[in-house]
Amino acid sequence: MSLVAYTLAVFILATAVATALFRDVLSAIVVFGSYSLGMAILYTLLLAPDVAMTEAAIGAGVTTILLLLTIARTTRPTSEKIFERVNLPAVVVVSAFVLVLVSTVLGDMYAVGDPAAPVWANTEVTQYYIQHTYEDTGVQNAVTAVLAAYRGFDTFGEAVVVFAAGVAVLIVLKREVFA
Amino acid sequence: MASDTSESFDDTYTESQVILTAVKIIAPFTLTYGLFLTFHGADTPGGSFQGGAIIGVTVLMLAFAFGIEPTRQWLSNTALVALVAGGVLIFLSVGLATILLGGAFLEYELFESVLGIPGGTKWGMEAIEIGGIALIVAGVVITLFFATASGFTPERRDSSEVETRPDGGLEGGEKR
Repeated sequence: MSLVAYTLAVFILATAVATALFRDVLSAIVVFGSYSLGMAILYTLLLAPDVAMTEAAIGAGVTTILLLLTIARTTRPTSEKIFERVNLPAVVVVSAFVLVLVSTVLGDMYAVGDPAAPVWANTEVTQYYIQHTYEDTGVQNAVTAVLAAYRGFDTFGEAVVVFAAGVAVLIVLKREVFA
Repeated sequence: MASDTSESFDDTYTESQVILTAVKIIAPFTLTYGLFLTFHGADTPGGSFQGGAIIGVTVLMLAFAFGIEPTRQWLSNTALVALVAGGVLIFLSVGLATILLGGAFLEYELFESVLGIPGGTKWGMEAIEIGGIALIVAGVVITLFFATASGFTPERRDSSEVETRPDGGLEGGEKR
């Protein structure tokens, strides 16, 4: 992990906390958009361009636009206070939980890109896809091959879920046409 | 398409020369990039989920620049239904076609071994990526946007002079 990645991680944490703390909805949405953008850059640094593109397009783009549109269509309460009141007992409990989690789990985690990590080294799953994808399917992007061929049925379910989301919005808004 | 704000019943729209110019320049590139991700997703990072989202966002950009209502009227409901439902149908029919050929759901190898299409597996995957997922995602992104944009607004401002709103959108409809 380089200095850039650590800086990004701090930025992501800061924007995540700011999203929860801002009282004004518009400020929270703008900060949340920058959080998604930070995540997208971090995914790129961790060599996951497919996930980064999704995060940039859906997380930073579409979600921000939909949230902005929603507050434009509803009321936006004004307040002199900038930040939400912090519930101290809740902060203590959450901090203690995070501390326990970090101290117990983080030590056992493999470094990023460690060839000995089980997720990389196992021959049944990861190495099988890396070695056989091209001769099995004829495509060079293993992610696409897993999505569309090896896990094609799951992807069909996913596509139907996206379709159902569109229909659900129509039902919630009591509308009968898409446009 | 640049409409007069006094005639438009879209009360969030302001015509901005900066946004209009920026969108006119950027939109062709985002559309091309979305199509590239969709059609080239098999061999480079990306794919139809990402490509479809970017194609959908291009329409959202146009709506921001030219006003939501004019863009909504320019799109037809039939086209959007065809996009979203058609995508699901194409995906499903590719899966069922392999069952009809005597295999399992989405067993693409049969396109090559039974129908004799060279590289059948790759073409089958391209079919569900381009013809299925990209259409669904692009359609649903556009749908979510326009359903949200128009879900709370009065249907027509000039249809009746009385300040009534349809089906109970009273509390949320008032502007700040």
